[in-house]
Amino acid sequence: MFIRTVEHNASLDQFRAEVRAFCEKELPQSIRQKQARGQHLTKEEYISWLQRLGTRGWNTGKWPKEHGGLGWSPEQHIAFQEELGRAGAPPLMSFGPTMAGPVIYTFGSEAQKAQHLPGIIKGDLWWCQGYSEPGAGSDLAALKTRADRDGDDYIVNGQKIWTSTAHWADWMFALVRTDQTAKKQEGISFVLIDMKTPGITVRPIIGITLGHHLNEVFFDNVRVPISNRIGEENKGWTYAKFLLANERVGNVDVAKVEGNIEQIRALMAETREGGKPLTEDPVFQRRLAELEVGLATVKALMADQLAAARLNGAPSLMGAAALKLRGTELQQGILQTGLDVLGRHGMVYQHEALHAGWNGEMIGPESSADVVYEHLYRRAATIYGGSSEVQKNIIAKGALGL
Amino acid sequence: MPSLSSEERQQLHDSLLEMLTDKYPFEQWKKLARAPGGESFGRAEWKQYADMGWLGISLPEAAGGSAGGMTELGIVMAAAGRFMLLEPLLGTIVLGAGAIERAGTAKQQELLGSIATGDLILAFCHTEPGAGYDRDYVTSVATKAGGGWRIDGEKGFALGAHAADTLVVSARIGSATGPVGLFLVPRTAEGISLNQAPAFDGRFGATVRLQGVTVPADARLGDSDADRLPIIDALIDRAAIACCAEAVGAMAAATDITVEYLKTRQQFGQPLSKFQVLQHRLVDMSVSTEEARAIVHAALQAIDDGAADAARLVAMAKVKTAQTGRFVGSQAIQLHGGMGMTDELVVGHYYKRITMCESLFGDAEWYLKRVGKLRDAA
Repeated sequence: MFIRTVEHNASLDQFRAEVRAFCEKELPQSIRQKQARGQHLTKEEYISWLQRLGTRGWNTGKWPKEHGGLGWSPEQHIAFQEELGRAGAPPLMSFGPTMAGPVIYTFGSEAQKAQHLPGIIKGDLWWCQGYSEPGAGSDLAALKTRADRDGDDYIVNGQKIWTSTAHWADWMFALVRTDQTAKKQEGISFVLIDMKTPGITVRPIIGITLGHHLNEVFFDNVRVPISNRIGEENKGWTYAKFLLANERVGNVDVAKVEGNIEQIRALMAETREGGKPLTEDPVFQRRLAELEVGLATVKALMADQLAAARLNGAPSLMGAAALKLRGTELQQGILQTGLDVLGRHGMVYQHEALHAGWNGEMIGPESSADVVYEHLYRRAATIYGGSSEVQKNIIAKGALGL
Repeated sequence: MPSLSSEERQQLHDSLLEMLTDKYPFEQWKKLARAPGGESFGRAEWKQYADMGWLGISLPEAAGGSAGGMTELGIVMAAAGRFMLLEPLLGTIVLGAGAIERAGTAKQQELLGSIATGDLILAFCHTEPGAGYDRDYVTSVATKAGGGWRIDGEKGFALGAHAADTLVVSARIGSATGPVGLFLVPRTAEGISLNQAPAFDGRFGATVRLQGVTVPADARLGDSDADRLPIIDALIDRAAIACCAEAVGAMAAATDITVEYLKTRQQFGQPLSKFQVLQHRLVDMSVSTEEARAIVHAALQAIDDGAADAARLVAMAKVKTAQTGRFVGSQAIQLHGGMGMTDELVVGHYYKRITMCESLFGDAEWYLKRVGKLRDAA
């Protein structure tokens, strides 16, 4: 079908100008500087920025108005992310606004909405995702972490892995097994876990980036009130899939991609071969153009999915899979081009430069360490949120009926 | 060029594999690469390589070497890739020794003996900021001063430069438009400042700034003002194909461990290796590695034979190795899933090493251009 649902928007120019002015005024110099150098923010810095966005409702602008959002159109949401990228602001946080929030407002109780949505809207709280386990990666439904009823509580035991920023998190949304006998997708429940609960241990995993982003999370008789369960018991897989579709749209991270392309173009301009900048090299000109075509295409796919989400309450699992597939390949393509530029500077990785207070001398362009870090980190883009292989299975089954 | 018999090559290959399997497991790699305040390689290991005859494998017999050719050097480098050796083989036995052999006087050739015994570590400091992969871009200048040379210039990141005894530095003789000479400069000479940094794969190196560095007259390789750019060109070809051999060793290892991992990793009630799409991926990794191995061998042989198209074959081998290496390395991580993203597992380190080999001395795009240029020049 060559049809697309088009929503006619008023010009976004005024909105874009408003976002630009906001970033100009509100983005603290310290964060701006760190962002420019690719240095990592502390949780406090990140939260302080999200809270500023929260004063305008911009963390959750794409949420429907009845749930405290601003009802942004897909185009407006993309425009917002683009402006953040251009202003050198940190990208939006996805765990709360894109993942936990929509599940809570779609399937949660009134009490759960009242308890959790304001914190996400205001940007006060950090969320993490308790999905993957050592034995449940691409086969997510094989998860074993169990929750057994005890009075008004579940007692949770087990282990999650690859939990991004669990060491910062105030809350985790997690999949747990509440029926040990049912078929694997049918015994899963979706629960919200306060990370301060006794019995939770967070252990860091050092990545190939040489940084700490991932964690293992262990649950040893952790008491979680049954009232923290979203929706029905043993129906968690339905909510999990709903969330995954949103997550995969979010995985594309348009603001970051936009920023990365700009960063790579700057790297090319700063890098010479035989004395001439790479921006004059036809090979690099062509590659940059290809990346721009890729970005325009992914943005168009993304607008489709956001429109579907607005009409149907969620993006389609198949559409999200296609978008995630191409969006993450694009991210890797951009960072590969960046790395190819850095090859001209000797492929140095001064990872210590990513921490504030480093006072060494950077070899090559200022953003070198950040580009290498991003390159390595984005190797996981085709793994997390369901590997590319899993996305292709979803499309094969769901869209092509194979 | 002389080279060893097939039997001797097999012995070399076997001795590398046997000793490194024993002495250079990944735990040892980690220990050496991560030693606090260390050089990111092992001095004791270096001495062992000398004792095994690996450092002198392609050095003349007069220097205590085995008089092997590029093929033998390739065998050593492939093992260096398989075990991700951190020691400065590239700068010392590939580039540094090659420079002395090709450009040095009879007296200077005596230094080769110290390379074979492991007593002289070299780094090749040729590329400069602004050069990119261009091999002719030299702005450093060496002027005659008080019976010796005064060198000024800035050199880009060179692996091993942080720990080398001697830097092999290229500089234009007399003025910015003079012929390019090669100079042996002690790393600790006055006027040299190093910026030590880790490379992508965890080895260390440094950029080198030379400000009024003075060296004696005999620090220049050779005793004429001859332009050494043609020698440098051949040396970089030698380094490029050595990196290809290294990449092939790493690609083979990365493929092996990925095959093994998929046999053991259970998902959906069976080992991942049972999924046809993944089997085909592993097959592509394996065939890619074989393609690279084949063309790298052909290029090594062409150099040893003094074939007219050797340089073009090297360029082609670099293109193919870079392309297949990128595929094999990234798929090795992809198929390991989250585990592939951890510093703890070896697979990510293979990815980094392969990527490093891909970029050193020119990537696929750069060598594609060179393949075209060398065709037109022929």
